Parts: sequence; structure tokens; C-alpha cells
Amino acid sequence: MARMKFLCDADRCIECNACVTACKNEHEVPWGINRRRVVTLNDGKPGERSVSMACMHCTDAPCASVCPVNCFYTTADAVVLHSKDLCIGCGYCFYACPFGAPQYPRVGNFGSRGKMDKCTYCAGGPEPDLSTIEYEKYGSNRLAEGKLPLCAEMCSTKALLAGDGEMIAQIYKERVIKRGYGSGAWGWKTAYRETVAI
Amino acid sequence: MKAFAVAVICAVAIGIAASYILSSSQRFAWQAFSTSSARVSQPGTNLVGPRWTGDATGPHDAVAGETTAPKRS
Amino acid sequence: MRRQTTRIRTFVAAAMLAGFAGTAALPALAQQSAPPTTTPTTAPNPTADSVNEDMLFKQGPKIGGRISIPDQKAANLIQPQGREWRGFHETWMPWIGAAAILGMVALLGLFYFTRGRIRMEHSEESGRKILRFNGFERFTHWMTATCFIILALSGLNYIFGKRLLMPVIGPDAFATLSQWAKYAHVYLAWPFMLGIVFMFVVWLRDNIPNRIDLQWIKAGGGFIGKGHPHAERFNAGQKVVFWMVAGFGTAMGVTGLMMLFPFAATDINGMQIMQGIHSLIGVAFIAAILAHIYIGSLGMEGAYDAMGSGKVDLAWARAHHDLWVEKEQARTASGPQLRTHHAPAE
Repeated sequence: MARMKFLCDADRCIECNACVTACKNEHEVPWGINRRRVVTLNDGKPGERSVSMACMHCTDAPCASVCPVNCFYTTADAVVLHSKDLCIGCGYCFYACPFGAPQYPRVGNFGSRGKMDKCTYCAGGPEPDLSTIEYEKYGSNRLAEGKLPLCAEMCSTKALLAGDGEMIAQIYKERVIKRGYGSGAWGWKTAYRETVAI
Repeated sequence: MKAFAVAVICAVAIGIAASYILSSSQRFAWQAFSTSSARVSQPGTNLVGPRWTGDATGPHDAVAGETTAPKRS
Repeated sequence: MRRQTTRIRTFVAAAMLAGFAGTAALPALAQQSAPPTTTPTTAPNPTADSVNEDMLFKQGPKIGGRISIPDQKAANLIQPQGREWRGFHETWMPWIGAAAILGMVALLGLFYFTRGRIRMEHSEESGRKILRFNGFERFTHWMTATCFIILALSGLNYIFGKRLLMPVIGPDAFATLSQWAKYAHVYLAWPFMLGIVFMFVVWLRDNIPNRIDLQWIKAGGGFIGKGHPHAERFNAGQKVVFWMVAGFGTAMGVTGLMMLFPFAATDINGMQIMQGIHSLIGVAFIAAILAHIYIGSLGMEGAYDAMGSGKVDLAWARAHHDLWVEKEQARTASGPQLRTHHAPAE
């Protein structure tokens, strides 16, 4: 099985936010919840770069480790998913996540903020694939349809790559060799304990 | 024993009062993170289903058969 | 003739067009053939002064930028501290918690089997009762105590629940239980904090450390040593419990409130530290209160009545809190008799 990863080529990202919009529309993500976001670093200065960030589906995911009800599980594609039936909305995953992926339907106080929501790598949840209940809780399941996450598929500059880690790393490496530069695979060291040698 | 009973009742009462106060100060993400230009006063149309509450076990589960099938290519 | 000139004109025009196109295409051709002759290193590098991860991590512990959505806390791009917090919470905390609580249970067990239950010493005053804690004092004690037990169990559930309880009752039942435990933890924290404030106000006057406490400690406090050293309303051990509850209770309240209202006071790293403090003090608090429960019930005969009915045996009071009994009797004997009428009514 593939080891699914995201890779954002910051030298190509133009902060168009199409990935954010694609994600929101594909999964009917509620207003105010961003499974994916684009962060601009050094905004307005020379060397500004934008990075599209969502759940990185970490190796040995910290969220899954700290969850007090063990609601996380890793699929055969190494996608980190969770069960909203088990989630108690405690927020431990939010503390542990290096990428700020977990979101809650209510903000204000910890008491009753509801079930956590995060990027599913367009792979739904524990419910049967492509069922209505799965769609309502987790959004669509593109992986079950043989498609990759829509954010990466829609990326106009192909900055955001999704797919098997080795394949997208290879694509990125070829790009870097061809053009002669690359600012690296953002977040890979934190998420996967490895990086793409460039 | 009377003091103990009163204490337990009082603790439960204060706890319930706290739950109401905290819940009333709770805001939905769509309320907290919307701007005046964003028309999300009626969240039904742009959220997951018309009665989306943020809970996985919400009104949806009670009337699961009623909900419209998601659009799917 | 006419046709011929037209043909020539067309030819000239075509030649001119071709020539123009050719000259225009020449730089493009040159551009295309440029890369093989020049290596990429001499080409202008757009990332020469661009930001990169390693550089940003050298500048600060986490990477953040600007974001165009209203949720400004999403502007934080990478915070590797999450992994450190996870390391603390998942590898250290269960062991620290287990060591603190099981260690205290073992210690108390050892104490019980070596020292045994501290028996009541009977005297001619046995059977007569004296009011030790009035109704309000007992009320605030039990409100805080019941909340503490729920808070302690639901708090331990966050650490040990998935390790001990979940395999027994299954994930679904455990998730439901944990959901209610979370609600109880969040909402019963409020009567608990109120109780801490009440207890602090009511008992502060009798808990100021003084010289009698030093002698009490030197004499072994009646636990280790023989006989009963002098003590006022609260002896040094009880004063330690009071200040421990006041201090730990405040710390738990403050750190808990910071987590209850995310991002109100601190950022994500602040909340991780708050959670660490909250859990560390939490297990210490539980261990200390276990000792308090032991000595107030099983450990010492006659002590439970003080919080049970509020009235203790005069012989017990004379032995354990002699100075307090003297003061109390002097007040009721010389002062107005109003208090003695009120006291039994409590």
C-alpha cells in the first residue's frame, strides 16, 4: 500500500487559496472551519513564501497518541482518520498537533465545543465507504473512488502534491533539479521525521 | 449528614448553572469566524445539511432517512 | 502580366513576413537553447533570499505567518512543541501519575500496618461532645470534597482511562463515559473553585503558622512520637493540608481556566505548559488528599466526627487540640451563653 503524504512546493504556491475553497466545497465544510489553510510567511518582504497546510497525516501521529479515548486510527494508506462517535472534544489533539489541524464546531470554551473535525485526506471516516452518514460526518471519500485529495488535484500551479510519499518526493526532486532551487518540503521533518534531499 | 446532603445538592446545582452559563457563552465557529459581509445568519444552506449542529450525533441521526443524499458525481 | 506582378508582390510579402518572423524567433531560439550551455547554478536563484524551514526554526521555536481567514490562530504553521507535549503526556505522565498515587497508597498501607489505627484515649470527659465544625464549615468541606473526588476520577480518566478502563468496557461505552466525565470535570470545577475560596476564607484565621506548630512538628505530631503535643484549632499537619489545598486548588483553578478558555490568556504553547502543570499538580493533589482521607477516617479514631456530625468527643479534642478546647471553654464559660444554644442546633 502507498504511504500517502502531502507536499507543498512553496516556490510554486501563489496563495490563490483554491485548495482551501476546493476542500470547503467538496466536503461542505462549515463556515469558520478550515481543514486546509494557506499561511504566508514573511508577507510583503523579499523571499515571501506561501505554504498550504492541513493535517499532514504524520508518521506516529501525536494526535492519535494523546487522544484519551483512542478515537484515531491509521488506514492502510497511512492516512490518519478519527471517529466522531468516540471523540469527546477534549482538545488534546489540538495541543499535540504540530500543524494546527484539529478544528471544533464551537469556539469560546472547552466545555461543549463539539466533535473535532480535521482533514481526512478525502478518505472519509470509519463509516462504510461512500455512505450518506460518512459524508455528513466527514465529507466525501475520494480515495474510495480512486481519486486523490481535491485540494492537490485542483492546485493551479501544482504546488500542492498529494499521493504516495515516494512518488511526490520524486516529482519534487525532479523539479528542484530542473529549476535549480527549492525551499524544501515544508513540515516533513516534523510530520514524517524525514525530508526530501535537495 | 445534613451538611453533606446540602453540599452535594449545592455542588450539582452550581455545576448545572455553570454548564448553562458556559454553554450560553459558547459560539459556533461560523459565528466567531465570520465577517459582516458574510451572510451566514442562516447557516442551514452552507453547512453540512440544514440542521447541522456540530455534533456527530445530532438531529441527523434521528431522521437519517430524511436527509437528502449528498451530491456526488 | 498583371497576374505575374501580383505573384511577385505576394512572394515579396511572404518573404518579408518570413524574415520578420525569423528575426523574432531568433531570440526565442537562443533562449531555448540557453539552458544546456549554462548550468542552473549561474542562473538567478529566486530562493536565494527566500524563507526556509530550517532558517525560521533558528529564529523561533515555531513558524507562523499571515493568514487571510478570520481564525487568526490558524496563522501558526508549524509548532513542533506538540510532539514534545505528546512525549510528556504519553510517556512520562502515566508513570508519574501511577507512581504518585500508588506510592501514596503503599505508604499509607505501610503506615496502617506498622503504626495501626490511632485509637481514642478515653478519659473522664469521654462521652461529652464539643462542636468542632459548624454547619457552614462542613458544607463547604463536603462540597469541595465531593467535587474533588469527581474531578480526580475524571481527570485520571484522561490519563489512565484508555489504558485501564477502555479494554474492559469497550470503546463505545468508554467514549460515552468519558464524554460525561469531561462535562463533570468542566462543570464541577466551578463549585470546587468556590469551595476552595470558602474554605480559605473560613479557616485562614486558624491556619496562620506559629511557634506552637514548630513544637508540634518537633514532637512528631502524635503520629510518630508518643503523647500529644499542644495544638490550637488546627495542628501543624492540618495547617499543611490547608495550605496545600489552598495552593494546589488555586494552581489547578488557574491552569484549568486557561485551558477552559482556549487562547484567552495564552497561545498554544502556553496551553501545553498549563496542561503539564495541571496534570502534575493534579496527581500530587490526589496523592496528598488520599493521605488526608486516610487520617480523617481510617487512620484516626474519633477524627471523622469532626466533619461527620461536627461534634467531637471532648476527650479526643482535649488530647489533640488542647489549646483550642481551653479557649473554646473559656469563651463559653465567661462570655455570653448564646453560642452554646446555637451550637447544638447546627
